[in-house]
Amino acid sequence: MISARGLSRSFDGRPAVEELTFEVPEGSLCALLGPNGAGKTTTVRLLLGLLTPTAGGGEVAGVTLPASDPEGARLRGRCGLLTEAPGFYDRLDGLENLDLFGRLYGLDEAELRRRIEHWLRRFELWEARARPFGTWSKGMKQRLALIRAVLHQPPVLFLDEPTAGLDPAAAREVRDLVSALRAEGRTILLCTHNLAEAEELADLVGIMRRRMLVFGARAALTRGTPGLELEVAGDGGALAAGLRSLPAVRAVAANGRSLRVTLDDPERDTPAVVREAVRLGAAVLAVRPAAPSLEEIYLRAMREAP
Amino acid sequence: MRRETLLLFLRKELRDLKANRQVWPAYLLLPAIAVLLPVLLLALLPVFLDPALAGHDPGADMLRQTIANDATLAGATLAERLARYLLRELGVFYLLMPVILASTGAALALVREKEQRTLEPILATPLRDRDLLLAKLLASVGPALLVTWSAFVPGVLAGGLCGWWRVGRVILPTAGNLVGVLLLAPAMAAVAALLGLRVSARFTDVPGAMQFTGLLVIPASLILVAVLGRPAMAHPGLGLAGAALLALAASGLFARTVRKFRREELLTRWK
Repeated sequence: MISARGLSRSFDGRPAVEELTFEVPEGSLCALLGPNGAGKTTTVRLLLGLLTPTAGGGEVAGVTLPASDPEGARLRGRCGLLTEAPGFYDRLDGLENLDLFGRLYGLDEAELRRRIEHWLRRFELWEARARPFGTWSKGMKQRLALIRAVLHQPPVLFLDEPTAGLDPAAAREVRDLVSALRAEGRTILLCTHNLAEAEELADLVGIMRRRMLVFGARAALTRGTPGLELEVAGDGGALAAGLRSLPAVRAVAANGRSLRVTLDDPERDTPAVVREAVRLGAAVLAVRPAAPSLEEIYLRAMREAP
Repeated sequence: MRRETLLLFLRKELRDLKANRQVWPAYLLLPAIAVLLPVLLLALLPVFLDPALAGHDPGADMLRQTIANDATLAGATLAERLARYLLRELGVFYLLMPVILASTGAALALVREKEQRTLEPILATPLRDRDLLLAKLLASVGPALLVTWSAFVPGVLAGGLCGWWRVGRVILPTAGNLVGVLLLAPAMAAVAALLGLRVSARFTDVPGAMQFTGLLVIPASLILVAVLGRPAMAHPGLGLAGAALLALAASGLFARTVRKFRREELLTRWK
């Protein structure tokens, strides 16, 4: 479980994060969204005990924050971190790098060897294991960094931009792994700029810019205003006027071939709207439940942020 | 976990050294000088003793006077006294070598981790400050001493054989030389490395850390070598006392370095 209560941190009197309060239940994946400099990395460092908060606290993996050693060491041992840059030694090979970090996490040699082989094979890095890390491709490096984060089987994972700079195939692979890790019951905090990634993976979404602007279950956030989206052949503008006359329709917004119709009860009223559209001569191509996308929520939050 | 951690970093550092050809010159040149210097100086022995220089070369005159006044060299021919004196004084090089290598190694220890972006993943492990710093200290001092001691054996052999060649006697290292290389060198290297580590923790780039070490840490360490190391070559008791004093200073400096170590400064001052 990850919980933050009024977590704040300033650098030279300049606030980097302010009064963050949120909770990620055990086994959930929370996507933390925000522009560059929003304080996502600072938040991860605070939660991992790498930075001391100027105010507030929290609890991560059963350790109360702020935590100084030996509690801090216990906290770090229970968490896995994927940093924005892979952070390995270029002149050491893949095996040597993982061996070093695995031992720093206190894994014994036999178990470490077994896990390293398992993960390198699973990520198709086994063949490259003896090559210096500096010669690996970006995707390979990122996969190795992900292996390091999970090697000691931590219950809590902090993933900072895990798919940044990866080609689509490698990004897909990493996302599948993140999904699998969540399915194994790990609690994951994922910092990302990739809204589609958050939409696909997250149970919870936090949008921040120094402060937490929006936080909640992704499904609840994207449920939004009830209504439907109609896609018609030709201009939707003419049809919009006709649909507004229906008593169940609260509002209609047209954008080219697309219409967004706000309804009191979409389940009850959708058939009537479609019937009316057909009656008015519209060629209906598609009908979808209307819901604000994460992108819309994000952009709105950024616009309204103080 | 501590002993394992120390060995782990030492092994990592050695592997890194092995693969890093840029640092090879420093690790090869200094031992080569240590082996060649006694050969060169004893080869030039007749030049130093040339009677034609007397009264004309102040350096040669001072050298003659020094060995004439040195009671520890009494009872030998002038050539043998000079050869013994030169070889004994060369022992200081085995103090310089670990000081230079350990302080530069330590000055890079943390700043290079910052530059390679390996510092945050390291700090995110359960490794404690004390263990990290001790590991970095050992990883700087260890290879420096390894190189020093590896050069000492052929250096002694070269000096001994050249002594046989020049004055008809194998000249062995003095007790002061042995105390110097075995005890004083590790103590001096530890102090120099701890100063280097503090530099490394404060700087955000490799060139800055290297410049500061080159301008301040190394000269300060060299003064220490000159003040304490040279007399210790002739007086092993002084070497022993100096080593004990420096070991004490090193442990105090280490405790202070641990106390002053701030993980978050390392992370947040790095841009």
